[in-house]
Amino acid sequence: MIRALWQALVGSSLRAQPGRTLLATLAIAAGIALGYSVHLLNASADAEFRRAALQLSGEAELLVRGPRQGFDEQLYPQIATLDGIAIASPVLEFQASRDAGNAPLRIIGIDALRARELQPALVAGQSLPAAGLFEPDSIILSAAAARSHGVAAGDLLDFRAGTVTVALRVAAVLPDGSYRQPLGIMDIAAAQWRFGMTGVLHRIDIRLDGEVAAAAVQKSISALLPEGVELLTPEAENLRSAALTRAYRTNLDMLALIALFTGAFLVYSTQTLSMLRRRSQVALMRALGAPRGTVLGVLLAEGTLIGAAGAVIGIAGGFVLARQLLASVGMDLGAGYFRNLQAALHPEPAAALFFLLLGPLFALGGTLAPAIEIAGMPAARGLRAGDPDERVSAFPALAGVAAIGSAAMLLWAAPSTGLPLHGHAAIALLLAGATLAFPPAAIRLLKLARLPLPLPHALSLARLLATPRLTAIGMSSILVSFSLVVSMLLMIHSFRTSLDAWLDQVLPADIYVRAGGGGETAFLSGREQQRIASIPQLLRVEFLRSRSLLLLPGRPPVTLIARDPGVDGFSRSLPLVGAPAAPGADGPPAVWISELVADVLALQPGDPIRLPLGMQPQIFAVGGIWRDYARQNGAVVMDLADYRRITGDQTVNDVAAWLAPDARVTEISGLIRAAADDGSALEITATADLRRLSLDIFDRSFAVTWALQAAALCIGLLGVWLAFNAQALSRRREFGMLRHLGLTRREISVMLGVEGALGAAIGAACGMVAGGLIGLILIRVINRQSFHWSMDLAVPWLPLAALFTGIILCAAVAACAGAAMATRQEMTRAVREDW
Amino acid sequence: MLTLKHLHKSYRDPGDRPVLRDICLELQPGDYVAVVGESGSGKSTLLNLIAGLELPDSGRILLDGQDLALLDDNERTRLRRRRMGFVFQAFLLLPHLTVLDNAALSLRLNGVGHRESQQRAAALLGAVGLSAHLHRFPGTLSGGESQRVAIARALAHQPGLVLADEPTGNLDAGSASQVLDLLREQVKSRDSIGILVTHSSAAAASADRVLRLADGILRPE
Amino acid sequence: MLAAAGVLPAGAMALPPAAPFAAADPAYRMRFPHDHGSHPDFRIEWWYITGWLRTRDREDCGFQVTFFRVRPPSQVANPSRFNPEHIIIAHAAVSDRRLGKLRHVQRAARQGFGLAGSDTGNTRVWIDRWQLLRDGPLYRCWIGNRDLALDLVLETRQTPLLQGTDGYSRKGPEAGSASHYYSLPQLRASGRIRIDKTAREVEGEAWLDHEWSSSLLEPDAEGWDWIGINLADGGALMAFRMRNRRGGTLWAGGSWRDASGSVTGFRPDQIRFTPLRRWRSPLTGAEYPVSFEVLAGPLRLRLEPLMDDQENDTRATTGAVYWEGAVRALGDKREIGRGYLELTGYLRPLQI
Repeated sequence: MIRALWQALVGSSLRAQPGRTLLATLAIAAGIALGYSVHLLNASADAEFRRAALQLSGEAELLVRGPRQGFDEQLYPQIATLDGIAIASPVLEFQASRDAGNAPLRIIGIDALRARELQPALVAGQSLPAAGLFEPDSIILSAAAARSHGVAAGDLLDFRAGTVTVALRVAAVLPDGSYRQPLGIMDIAAAQWRFGMTGVLHRIDIRLDGEVAAAAVQKSISALLPEGVELLTPEAENLRSAALTRAYRTNLDMLALIALFTGAFLVYSTQTLSMLRRRSQVALMRALGAPRGTVLGVLLAEGTLIGAAGAVIGIAGGFVLARQLLASVGMDLGAGYFRNLQAALHPEPAAALFFLLLGPLFALGGTLAPAIEIAGMPAARGLRAGDPDERVSAFPALAGVAAIGSAAMLLWAAPSTGLPLHGHAAIALLLAGATLAFPPAAIRLLKLARLPLPLPHALSLARLLATPRLTAIGMSSILVSFSLVVSMLLMIHSFRTSLDAWLDQVLPADIYVRAGGGGETAFLSGREQQRIASIPQLLRVEFLRSRSLLLLPGRPPVTLIARDPGVDGFSRSLPLVGAPAAPGADGPPAVWISELVADVLALQPGDPIRLPLGMQPQIFAVGGIWRDYARQNGAVVMDLADYRRITGDQTVNDVAAWLAPDARVTEISGLIRAAADDGSALEITATADLRRLSLDIFDRSFAVTWALQAAALCIGLLGVWLAFNAQALSRRREFGMLRHLGLTRREISVMLGVEGALGAAIGAACGMVAGGLIGLILIRVINRQSFHWSMDLAVPWLPLAALFTGIILCAAVAACAGAAMATRQEMTRAVREDW
Repeated sequence: MLTLKHLHKSYRDPGDRPVLRDICLELQPGDYVAVVGESGSGKSTLLNLIAGLELPDSGRILLDGQDLALLDDNERTRLRRRRMGFVFQAFLLLPHLTVLDNAALSLRLNGVGHRESQQRAAALLGAVGLSAHLHRFPGTLSGGESQRVAIARALAHQPGLVLADEPTGNLDAGSASQVLDLLREQVKSRDSIGILVTHSSAAAASADRVLRLADGILRPE
Repeated sequence: MLAAAGVLPAGAMALPPAAPFAAADPAYRMRFPHDHGSHPDFRIEWWYITGWLRTRDREDCGFQVTFFRVRPPSQVANPSRFNPEHIIIAHAAVSDRRLGKLRHVQRAARQGFGLAGSDTGNTRVWIDRWQLLRDGPLYRCWIGNRDLALDLVLETRQTPLLQGTDGYSRKGPEAGSASHYYSLPQLRASGRIRIDKTAREVEGEAWLDHEWSSSLLEPDAEGWDWIGINLADGGALMAFRMRNRRGGTLWAGGSWRDASGSVTGFRPDQIRFTPLRRWRSPLTGAEYPVSFEVLAGPLRLRLEPLMDDQENDTRATTGAVYWEGAVRALGDKREIGRGYLELTGYLRPLQI
């Protein structure tokens, strides 16, 4: 019985329309491949982060961590001698600057004798001759560091400390397996001395002896810690190092889900149409006595099988795609977040299984509703010729409205910090709601409009209006894909426009000078600053000192920027959000905090803020809140004069310079280099280049989203093709009749094209509305909460209009192509077909 | 006037037994003939040739002196639109149009304005007894009612030639005789040529003459 | 006794001595308690305790505790307080008869911050809470972690036995390779030993060596064999030989203090180590002569190990592999003393 049913319902359909089954399979495969590959890259990057962090913390049970400029080393003996501590291992950890043009290298300075108890993989074993670690000019490199800096054991490697060159001999290169990321390891004494950090530590790794309760030990450690120094577990440390990219990775995962979601809609529409097409066969089987449950089972089995086949292809394809992406654009899909991350794919069986199950699940979900409907349909009705049941149920539309309502509620109730998961949930709800509720509403509107179209296009319109359900199904893929594309366009355009304006404001000078090629160890001394300031061809010079502060609990350190306030003060020179605080007469000095700091600490202009600066924490007043697209972990700006008064630190990292009208950049660069102790260590960039560089980075980081958008649109158009292809057979008699009535083949094709275009217009218009709303959520909620970046809404009208037109034209072509089979020669014979 | 001269038509290789052999026929306005024959006797092929949907291997088809073979597909299509009306066994009404819009379709296709075509179609629907159902959709009609709408559609633009292909094949006996009467009445009253293709002798009886198609040859019965 | 110093920087004990380090001086006369303390001018120094302990249920076990002070070869004027001027290393091992092998713990740290160091003037050397402290006639020793802990008190019952000539002990044919070296045999030991979670009261006899030098291992030396035996009659015997890379004897030495307290020093040709039985380590593949016949002047004794496997495999941490264990000294089939035997350089030439 089941065999017979399978042959009659599935086998015959498969034989008659192998292409369509294949396409449905491929649609699922495409969605899963996209989703899986993005997830795989993402999860692999995450695994690398965790692995790296775990290797570094090793067997430590607790970590004491300070800001980038470190804490007093006397904390180390105090902690080491506490009851309950088995081992305390001091660590110096910094990004060592190299010459301009060379990426900085992360170096840890360790006491190998202590560290080998905690990080055996890094320190102990034959791979690491302990001897090398006591030499004051030795460095041991991870394999990745040796590769990326092009050195081997025995070579010399130059670094910058201040403006002085530190030459270190590569004593050894660790084997590939022991630590995969670029890293240099030095003796802690050598690192303190050679990089000018005597008296300072960044981290103390701790193992407990197990004889004193962990909580008690933590308490006694915490009591010793000065402000700005934290006690963490390795897990928390791990989370924090991942926090840097967490938001970006969450967004990537969401992109993956969006790809899946689009694929799911395609499956739903394909399966629905395929079911409806076979309703007469089903009715026949029912009339011949097949029980409803068995019929339903067979139909669902078919859907599940298609889904499973698609999932298998999709997983394989996703893996290949991920490998290609990793090779061509890197683990962060070109965004530059994990630039130095060395990574390989880590496929986890659980994730693969999850995506593998999604295929049949989506297919089953897509099949369920139509299968129940046609299996339960009275046989007599199914046997009658004509279009499927078009009695419009209000339920989907109501469910859609409810979904949109809950999305709104979610957003309204949203917390303002943390991961914007509710924002993503709102997007999913909105998308689902829009798909259910918008097409019926649009069709109703279109009915009211009574569009005066000439024949035969009026027939297209009439058919669309009369078959809202088929129209909605056929266009759901367009709606979903278009709304996603519109939302991304809106977000990216708003972001880029805001970034452009922001760059204008934060880069007012003509050239920017940086000591060393990044990293934390290079700076310009007071003497060098004076020499630069006295170059006559410079109209004006502003100095900037940046360092890090551990300000926000559980988050990476924020950047403290001490700089000249500029001619008009910070309220003019910073890209402020909202009004600055009224300047107080004799209140504490003002600092200007970025949006992230304001969000996390819930601060308003005028509020007091404590900064762990100098010998003891200082109280400042929040002068205003500014927008910072450059530093993801937050930033605090203060007057360089205040900074110097409090800390006594006279060094700077960056110089902004305004050129005299006739001065040339190349000539000035030479003068500035000559003014420094070692000019080759300076990185000098013209503002135009800096701007271009920033926008290039921006564009690169969104490059992959274009590919995803294109893929989404292709899937959407494939949906239109499928919808028309699926209906073509059942409409062959209609086309034959119209041929008899005197329509040329061409006119029928045009009619179909118009039908496709009209449908796509409905879908795209709905998508535009939904996409606009999603874009707003992306801008106002997701980005705000992921990155704490506000941006101004900017609508890319022209690209949107072009895309709208383009998708309609493409849909028209897709519709014609989809129905091509039915409009070929034989359609006149169809008038006599009676089934 | 419709003239068929020595029509030959075969489908596969020229050596195969032809479907139609040396068909000759001349019909004047007001003629209403029935063509009967077994399934596969070539009735449908004959209809397609007359409608200009297919071309004969040899012989000529003249409609009001115009040789269909000399027209290209688009011209034949236009001729069909203006000068012919069709009634199908399966009615073939557009399910998403109302009864009135379905009946007005042929007028609209011939460029008659919306308002006028609606008026004329309404009048015609009144004549076939459906004035009460103008705004219903085909899915809600009985078979007889549907075919009456189809007849209205076939005749609304005053075609010179009406081709009915088994118009009663899907109808019960009562509805069938009603539809046959209506078709005959409408064709006669407009002085059109009517060709009724059927395998039912009862249906054929409603025509003026009955022609039998057998072994590719058309003979009077 | 040096083997556990495998963590030492390469060449720490090689000839010639680096310029800033003091050299052993045959004219030096030891003063106590001053020479119980540290001698930071010398490159390397150790306090080395071995002995036999008995639990209450009369189970024998051997133990060894060593504190080293070592200076890395290149000394620079690094202002960092982490500058590794001195490295303190502690190592302890206990023969666990149920396991049939040694349990050991080890820790090293650079001197500084009060966390690790060695005092001059009297014995006090420590890393974190591990320490060896001389307190009048008593040495207090605490060492241990989660796996193994020793908490012992050692009571001095005899005067220091100065090795070599008045404590100047030559280690090879070259004039400079020598150390200052004295022993404290016949210490009475008592305290507690914990293995994993099981702690047991113990008592027994022990032997302390204190030795400092800047150069004692000649380039041709492959390793050495050393014994320190507390004789049952209250006497003490120390003997060692340095082996060259051809398996022959590069140098040898030793001394015997008899029950009456009179000391006999031995010339190199008066010492002979004759292997009686070899044991091959299943773990490292090294083959050790775990049983010897030792001739030292008029004394002839046969050594039998408490158990065969008293191998220290620290390749994972320091790279050194050596055998160091409790032995019985047998006269004519009668036990005449108990002590420790150390065998180094049997897997590969010692390169410390």
